[in-house]
Amino acid sequence: MDWSALNVSLVLAAWTTLVLLPVGLALARWLAVTCWVGRPFIEALLLLPLLLPPTVIGFYFLVALGQGSILGAWLAQTLGWRLVFTMQGLLLVSVLVNLPFMVQPIQRAFAAVPHSLREAAWVSGLSTWQTFWRIELPLAWPGLLAGMALTVAHTLGEFGVVLMVGGNIAGETRTLSVSLYDKVQGMELQSAHVMALALVGVSLLALTLVLAFDRVGQRGRALQER
Amino acid sequence: MSGLQVQLRSSSPIRLAAEFDCGAGELVALVGPSGSGKTSMLRAIAGLWTPPDVQGHIRVAGQDWLNTAAGVQLTPQERRAGLVFQHYALFPHMTAEANVALAAGAGWSAGDVQALLSRLGLATLAQRRPAQLSGGQQQRVALARALVRVMPEPEAASSQALAGVLLLDEPFSAVDAPTRQTLYRELAALRQKVSVPMVLVTHDLSEARRLADRVVIVDAGQTLQTGEPARVFASPRNARVAELVGIQNHFAGRFFKDHPGWGRLCWTGAGQGCIELSVVDKNKIDDGTPVTWVLNGEQVDVLADDAVAEPREAGATCLRCQLAEVLPLGEISLCTLIPQDLPEQRITLNLTTRVLDRLKVSAGCGVQLLIAPGALHIMPVREVTV
Repeated sequence: MDWSALNVSLVLAAWTTLVLLPVGLALARWLAVTCWVGRPFIEALLLLPLLLPPTVIGFYFLVALGQGSILGAWLAQTLGWRLVFTMQGLLLVSVLVNLPFMVQPIQRAFAAVPHSLREAAWVSGLSTWQTFWRIELPLAWPGLLAGMALTVAHTLGEFGVVLMVGGNIAGETRTLSVSLYDKVQGMELQSAHVMALALVGVSLLALTLVLAFDRVGQRGRALQER
Repeated sequence: MSGLQVQLRSSSPIRLAAEFDCGAGELVALVGPSGSGKTSMLRAIAGLWTPPDVQGHIRVAGQDWLNTAAGVQLTPQERRAGLVFQHYALFPHMTAEANVALAAGAGWSAGDVQALLSRLGLATLAQRRPAQLSGGQQQRVALARALVRVMPEPEAASSQALAGVLLLDEPFSAVDAPTRQTLYRELAALRQKVSVPMVLVTHDLSEARRLADRVVIVDAGQTLQTGEPARVFASPRNARVAELVGIQNHFAGRFFKDHPGWGRLCWTGAGQGCIELSVVDKNKIDDGTPVTWVLNGEQVDVLADDAVAEPREAGATCLRCQLAEVLPLGEISLCTLIPQDLPEQRITLNLTTRVLDRLKVSAGCGVQLLIAPGALHIMPVREVTV
């Protein structure tokens, strides 16, 4: 078992979820209620990481933010940020590819809150902000939990984009899935078995949680419709 | 200036021409078919819906909630509208008490909220979530949540004047019939204690008739007629109102002036025939005008075919009919009659089984109808609508 790789994977998953939660929440709430004509385009853009090979995203990331690019050079010179082959870069790209996993369940949860409840809150004197905190968010929380669980599971399992953007630096950007690849290449099958099993276990747990939260959400919706 | 005054006009997205008022403590029912715009009017009062091209005003206790001329438009939060939604829209993650407390202003202590819940018979249910309540109980919680918005705040420093309205959007449609009867009684009792304008939206005529002080007939976004239920039902302003309030016996005819104070109603059918009926001339309709007229079945006497018709009232017309069909519906029977001189016309009467037994008549028999002038209500065919 490559403990440092497990550590990198967990740190990356935690930060990705933490950064993505507010971003995803804002995007999901907006998409759930907006009537703007451009909404399908934004939704398609957010779903794109599901369809594209991770190498495409990794490639564009390197093109846009590598040392050779204008933006990458500027970031390195003025802010001292190096995003290629670093944890920060890995986090940024991880946030991007995880957008659909966070936004989708939350958006579905907000869309399932009946509009009449918002109106009931308004005529009860609650501002839109109070309505969000006291009515919408408590009703949408199963969607939030599902989004977080999916993001954690997907981050742990991400491989291609990690290899392209993060490289394979032990203790820095070598995640569990990359380490597993190394072990298989080096014919260390015993070690590979342990890590593969760990990834299967975590993913299974995360998916079980997602489905359990979904049931909670469905029950809540069923109650509202009674 | 107390009470609620509504005057709204818009042409898109739906055509709206609403004009009605509701005094403090009065209950006005907006009655109309589905899609007639009555719920939209209610939502406009609450501030939840404002057509972009609206013209007019909504005024409550002298305060403008909407005044397009003065550029005033309050948000739903600024209006004190207690709205009971059709399906209640209770917050499912909160207890009954929390649902009510959420809408209560600073002048309501927790004890005051509990006292209100007790008054509505919800004391033992305060800690339950909506899903654990029956339809009738949910309705009462929704009513309590609406009431805290419009009742005077118990802890307020001064007893400020009431400036709210209670809005009820088909609140009885989602509960079973026995619960509905209980809730009717509770609403009547509530009106003794709360004196704010109350607007009820319903498509149920008998409900409107039973609960409302006045009804407003709504059709295609327009308020057609306003008045006491008995009055509107007995003398609809035009044929559309007659149709909407469910009057079965409306017919075509022509009105002629007769000797002073009296007129002749010439009931015309599809063919050549004509039946003349005596009516009172109120000097509102010109000689020879085509009219729509309504027969109020409650003021028609039915006699056996061979009885000697003795008009008890001046000007009563005797009409020979054939009893074509009798549909027994418990204590009353729905009877269809064919006038002898206009065989393609049909009169529908609700006769008690007792009357039918006394007359010893059944389908196929002949009867006589004694029609007093008061049973006839005449309207010009084309009413100029605003």
